[in-house]
Amino acid sequence: MRELFVAMLKEEWRIHSTMTGNLGFALFPIMIAGFTFMAAWILPVLPGIVPIDTLAFIVHALFALMGVMVGSFGIMGREFMNRRFGQASLIAYSSRSLPVSERRIFSVFIAKDVVFYLFLWVIPAVLGIAAAAPFIGLSPGLPPLLLLTFTLSFLEGLAIVFFLSTIYAHSPRIAGALIAGAALAIGGASLVGIGPAVLLPPYAFLLAPSALPLLASLVLIAVPGACSIVWATVDYPDATRRFPNALTGLVRRFRFFSNPWFVAKDALDLIRSEGGIAKLVFSFLMPLALIWVFLSVLFRFIPGISPLIVFAILLGVISSTTYNWLTEFESFSSYAFLPVDVRTVLMSKLQSYVVINIVSLAVLLAIAFGTGEAGLVVPAVLVFVSVSAYTLAVTVRLTGLYPSTMLYNARVFFTYIAAIAPVLLILIFSSIGHPWVAAAGVLLLPVAWILISRASLRWTVWEMPSY
Amino acid sequence: MHGIIEADGLTRTFGDVTAVDHVTLTIPQGELFGLLGPNGSGKTTMNKLMTGQIRPTEGTVRVMDLDVAEDPLGVRRKVGIIPEQETPPSFLTAEEYLHFVGKIRGLTDMEERANSWFNILEFRDKKEVLCKDLSRGTRQKLMVAQAFLHEPPLAFIDEPLINLDPVMQRTVKDFLQEYVFKGGTVFFSTHILGIAEEICTSFAILSEGSILHHGTIDELRMDNRKLEGFFLERVRGTAHA
Repeated sequence: MRELFVAMLKEEWRIHSTMTGNLGFALFPIMIAGFTFMAAWILPVLPGIVPIDTLAFIVHALFALMGVMVGSFGIMGREFMNRRFGQASLIAYSSRSLPVSERRIFSVFIAKDVVFYLFLWVIPAVLGIAAAAPFIGLSPGLPPLLLLTFTLSFLEGLAIVFFLSTIYAHSPRIAGALIAGAALAIGGASLVGIGPAVLLPPYAFLLAPSALPLLASLVLIAVPGACSIVWATVDYPDATRRFPNALTGLVRRFRFFSNPWFVAKDALDLIRSEGGIAKLVFSFLMPLALIWVFLSVLFRFIPGISPLIVFAILLGVISSTTYNWLTEFESFSSYAFLPVDVRTVLMSKLQSYVVINIVSLAVLLAIAFGTGEAGLVVPAVLVFVSVSAYTLAVTVRLTGLYPSTMLYNARVFFTYIAAIAPVLLILIFSSIGHPWVAAAGVLLLPVAWILISRASLRWTVWEMPSY
Repeated sequence: MHGIIEADGLTRTFGDVTAVDHVTLTIPQGELFGLLGPNGSGKTTMNKLMTGQIRPTEGTVRVMDLDVAEDPLGVRRKVGIIPEQETPPSFLTAEEYLHFVGKIRGLTDMEERANSWFNILEFRDKKEVLCKDLSRGTRQKLMVAQAFLHEPPLAFIDEPLINLDPVMQRTVKDFLQEYVFKGGTVFFSTHILGIAEEICTSFAILSEGSILHHGTIDELRMDNRKLEGFFLERVRGTAHA
């Protein structure tokens, strides 16, 4: 058991460090600590602007979301790895060749994910806050409490996604029904005035430490976690999936792009990979809905700022993460023996990205018209398109076809944040009182174009040394 | 002698390792040329150099009168390539993958071309299966089909028979011999000497990045020599030197 755990930890480290280098990856948690250290310095001034409870809830929700993301990656990791590194053989899928049961392997896999990502994200984040605590007058008892509540939030997200994926492996319908039921329950709870503390007990524990929220947190982790271990089935690629030729029809549909066959292939990758189109709903639309709710609540306390404009700016950043979906099964080695260059592959990804962004645009328009902010729809759309293009260009420049692994390189991540965060802050603050000023975001478009042009050259050299 | 492939002083290093070391080689049109060598001898690197997937550290290679370093896409447009590892996209079916490659190569009548290959390599029943769910052997068939889809005059193939059953190996061997008979040229990398002896017209032995011998199978036969013994003698002779 211990050997298996250690082997999986090493494997997880190597998955990341293969792409980012050992040092680059080792520096990642240090950089996270650095970020939270710096961010902590603004805590003393925030209570005058935003209720600290609201901020605490957002941060706890973010850690829960991180648990969901880590769990999702663990589940679909094999498909991703096979594309990236050829026929990958992860220990998690080796119960056929090792004298160890699937259940035991899955238990160790969960334990490995918990330990690895606690050390990668959660503990460094708390250490950064702890380091700043003496300078900003935080109570010395707060960092240990945050360590506990952040960890519980992270574990809650992780346990729930493992549980849902286990149910999904047995019956996608039951999993769908459970998700729909949970969404209805949450919606109903908010309608009858049940607050977010009930949905996220670790946050409730932070507000008022007592046995009940702690117990609720542990139950929300232990019960789904235990169920997913007991009912675990590891998905071996035995099931043969068949489809009639859908590529030709899609190529016709995307004929206005310069590389319609690549866009069509991306569409099929997205639809047929694990999670399918449900990924769009659960990994994209639901977080967007949550962010809109957060912003609507948050900006009640900040006069002069338009939630729609800020949402459009954040939507641009979040939309750029869909580039991960377009690249997660991609590797240039699949094309190296065909008359295709790196630039063509990257450009086709941008075209696919435009298609996905239609969903983001639809969300923005729906919110603008649905919340009575239609008057600001023009600057909102302009700033969304500009931020989305710019953030994507930075991502492509820094990570090529490998955003989901390259961003774990400390230097790359730092550059990514340094390139994006100031732009966002400038846009948000300049729009206070004058929402139309955000339309000046269109100035980012030529910058995006230059970055993407340079990215082509850079990644051509990286993929095909000396070309 | 003018060749369809002409390498001159071709060298590729990776850090301190010299994978291909000053290889000079001319392969005329119409050859079924076997590049033979033990594991790690530089065969795959040679293949990649000749198809513009990597650039030489020194030397030049011309393929079908194109300088590969100057026009790698031009070379890959003309030739067919079966890479060492079969990597068709996971979420396309076999049929969709052939159509995808056909689109990249600007081919028309893809339905006919694809169906013809499903028949030749006997995997019509798998055409609607996702590539990720195909067996290794069927994936290998798919890679053979994609390489010859555009009827190239020259094909670079790296261990194409390794995952195929004996019946399908015979089919592919027959196809390659007929292809060469009709004027095509094959650059065939392998370490399976029996196959090379059976189908190749000429061969070179590559060891530690250097060519130890370049000749024809007929010359060996005239000397009453077997390829395996000749190969081992040359390679071991180098290793012991």
